[in-house]
Amino acid sequence: MNIRVSFWLKTNRMATHMSKCRTWNRVHRFGIAAYRKYSSSGSGYPNISLSTPLPGIPKPVFASVDGQEKYETKITTLENGLKIASQNKFGQFCTVGILINSGSRHEAKYPSGIAQFLEKLAFSSTAQYGSKDEILLTLEKHGGICDCQTSRDTTMYAVSAEVKGLDTVVSLLSDAVLQPRLLDEEIEMTKMAVRFELEDLNMRPDPEPLLTEMIHAAAYRGNTVGLPRFCPADNVDKLDKTVLHSYLRNYYRPERMVLAGVGIEHEQLVDSARKYLLDAKPVWGTSPAANVDLSVAQYTGGIVKMEKDMSDVSLGPTPIPELTHIMIGLESCSFLEDDFIPFAVLNMMMGGGGSFSAGGPGKGMFTRLYLNVLNRHHWMYNATSYHHSYEDSGLLCIHASADPRQVREMVEIITREFIQMGGSAGEMELERAKTQLKSMLMMNLESRPVIFEDVGRQVLSTGKRKLPHELCHLISSVTASDIKKVTTKMLRSKPAVAALGDLTELPSYEHIQAALSSKDGRLPRIYRLFR
Amino acid sequence: RLASRSLPRGQASVSYAQSLLGAPETQLTALDNGLRVASEDTGHATCTVGLWIGAGSRYENERNNGTGFFLEHMAFKGTKKHTQTALEQQVESMGAHLSAYTSREHTAYYMKTLAKDLPKAVELLSEVVQSCSLNEAEIEQQRGVVLRELEEVESNLQEVCLDLLHATAYQGTPLGQSVMGPSSTASVIKSGLNLTRQDLVEYINIHYKAPRMVLAAAGGVNHEELVGLAKSHMSGVSFEYEGDVVPVLSPCRFTGSDIRMRDDALPLAHVAIAVEGASASSPDIVPLMVANAVIGSYDLTYGGGKHLSSRLARIAVEDKLCHSFQAFSSSYSDTGLLGIYFVSDKHHIDDMMHWSQNAWMNLCTTVTESDVARGRNALKASLVGQLNGTTPICDEIGRHVLNYGRRVPLAEWNARIDAVTPSVLRDVCSKYIYDKCPAVVGVGPIEQLTDYNRIRSAMYWLRF
Repeated sequence: MNIRVSFWLKTNRMATHMSKCRTWNRVHRFGIAAYRKYSSSGSGYPNISLSTPLPGIPKPVFASVDGQEKYETKITTLENGLKIASQNKFGQFCTVGILINSGSRHEAKYPSGIAQFLEKLAFSSTAQYGSKDEILLTLEKHGGICDCQTSRDTTMYAVSAEVKGLDTVVSLLSDAVLQPRLLDEEIEMTKMAVRFELEDLNMRPDPEPLLTEMIHAAAYRGNTVGLPRFCPADNVDKLDKTVLHSYLRNYYRPERMVLAGVGIEHEQLVDSARKYLLDAKPVWGTSPAANVDLSVAQYTGGIVKMEKDMSDVSLGPTPIPELTHIMIGLESCSFLEDDFIPFAVLNMMMGGGGSFSAGGPGKGMFTRLYLNVLNRHHWMYNATSYHHSYEDSGLLCIHASADPRQVREMVEIITREFIQMGGSAGEMELERAKTQLKSMLMMNLESRPVIFEDVGRQVLSTGKRKLPHELCHLISSVTASDIKKVTTKMLRSKPAVAALGDLTELPSYEHIQAALSSKDGRLPRIYRLFR
Repeated sequence: RLASRSLPRGQASVSYAQSLLGAPETQLTALDNGLRVASEDTGHATCTVGLWIGAGSRYENERNNGTGFFLEHMAFKGTKKHTQTALEQQVESMGAHLSAYTSREHTAYYMKTLAKDLPKAVELLSEVVQSCSLNEAEIEQQRGVVLRELEEVESNLQEVCLDLLHATAYQGTPLGQSVMGPSSTASVIKSGLNLTRQDLVEYINIHYKAPRMVLAAAGGVNHEELVGLAKSHMSGVSFEYEGDVVPVLSPCRFTGSDIRMRDDALPLAHVAIAVEGASASSPDIVPLMVANAVIGSYDLTYGGGKHLSSRLARIAVEDKLCHSFQAFSSSYSDTGLLGIYFVSDKHHIDDMMHWSQNAWMNLCTTVTESDVARGRNALKASLVGQLNGTTPICDEIGRHVLNYGRRVPLAEWNARIDAVTPSVLRDVCSKYIYDKCPAVVGVGPIEQLTDYNRIRSAMYWLRF
């Protein structure tokens, strides 16, 4: 016992001695840093709870905002054909970007997939900025973010940043669009990202993107908007700098571009545009366009099938039942025509969604596809109506999914719905659809990036912009006879069908076509000899 | 009026400082029964209006866990004045969207609609909250719906992971309960789904009290009009507790622990690690938000290659360590979670965990001025950038008034963020992260997930 105590005392003394030495050494060498300070009230940091206002902040002077929604969109055209459009909006952030009339529909003479590549390559190294990191660093100084989106007919490069950084933003945009370096390592990374995205598309339980590709390929066989939006797997290695440059030479030309901005003054935007975009020499040279594809979309109708095993698509532990998905579409009209608004109202009236839940009141639970289809046939998993519209044609289609053994019934229900569209719409139903469309339009336009896209797209295709209240007025003046007129026209076109999954019970294309031209929408009776 | 001022050439429309101070004001009024009304008039043609209530799964106990969530489902199924169909048709004909959400400490019922329909919206909302019909047949039907939703959530592994994180970090306390009720992997037959009408009525009577409610609105709304509507529809909301049943929030202790749900059949592992963070109104929350902005987030589809600004993201891309990661923080009234969540394949979990903790240690010791400047800018940009549209603004008003009793103006956020220097960041991060016991969760093929003791020992460095 005694020995242990004395040993303990000795070691204790030794330990204290050692630690004293160490501390002394430390003080001697590094200064006093032997322990960590944890207080957060030192060094002038305000230790005041968020429930009390911080002292020392000047009392804010609040602005009143009213009437600014009616401001016109200002549009200027520069000498080289570039259009500049801006919409004033209150706030210290703005969204500025370049929209180009280029997309997968223009890839007829090139290997498909350029649009997807350009989207992934956007905002990589350029003449002025050595890497994406430098671009992001510059943007961060102005609290900005950048993004690129390509679709079938438009490519959008957009930057959201503080208003005081407008000049830097326009210079960055001009660089990113006209002077990308397209280095080999960037193209390699893009190929990897594209391959990953294609894998992800195939693995996902949600078949929406695949079906959209298929219905476009069916409706516009082999031309313009029917060309694939996603790079086909065998094309990934065919695309390189030369192919991209030859495409960009033809399509990234000033007369096909719009510089749009929301939240900035028009004069400043025009000044910056003159500085950076008027005489900018693109990196692929300025030779005249040789091969610009100006073809008009030809609606052909047709069927595209994909047999796929959908029995085990769930990514988590809960299994998703095996479903077959079909999409049936008919030709609608382009967004430039007057009939576009009645088609939009019709689409809203059809509505639809998943059978599990509409998502609460207000999400379309009284639309026709819910009332007539999903509420009556509980075995249908999904029935939704979509409307795609381009500058020369459009497509109204209905997506439905159910168990593979009930595909025939499902197709018949959808064809009957199409025929019933040609009947007269109920007054309450029509009013509801119109109010919901107006409401959805106004709610979407609350957000600055959406306003930016709206301004850009309208100016790109028509050269001017219809303000939201004008559109609301047009929507209000749609009548039941307008709906009937557009539906009759639509039902005369050849159907486009896309089918995905187990297709053994799928009726033939001729039968579907016959159903859509019949009076009641029923499929022709088939007589099986062997049951 | 800003728009009509003539601007000198070469200057941005409005300077940053001017616009911070010049944002539309959030006005706050309290009614006699304690209900608060707050609104911001942004001049839009649409508006979002809703009721934010200080009630959630934290106020439930083992027996009635899931009541708040069930009530959210029952809310739109009819009131004493409107049947379910009549209510739905009204909303649809207005072109409005009616939604609700429940979280651990807040419940919200809100409606997005055209600005001219504000009176009708407030009337419907007040009915939904005060005189929900709760009929028995509907309750039975919704039970099935809730069960199915629970099943669906099971396949959302991110939700599962973060729910388990709460369950282990706050084990044995009400914060550990899931919002939706006991999950189906536990026993569904027990409690939660055996809720009766009596349970729901009791919940409303105890928790839906005027002083705990905020009527918030944003968009083309006039504050006086809104206050008038609130007075006429919501003066009847009770502000007294019956008997002794005043619900008092007991403190929820944080327990450093881990939960591992190993399932080698899943393709990817979801891992989360968190320490106890700051409460919602604590001043430390601002440096912690800056710290999270420094770590940032990443997803495989970002396409930026290795040229991303966050250091952890660069390492993750160069060595292909993960599919995605994000730094997150959740805060409640007296506690919070500060953590990193990542998704990776089964061969890189250990490395990713090592580098995530390395990022934390870096914040506590050697974070540089340029990193902090970047974090501050990113945080400021995201705070303002999220306020895009009437619904996010309305949501922020509702939550702020519940958490802080006022809407924190942007100018103040700015001042608080600017006060965060590298030394402040190091101090605050050391206070919450350095040498603390974390809560760790792993779901999926997690054989490689580091042992807890090694994770614990990586929460400090022996270099100091």
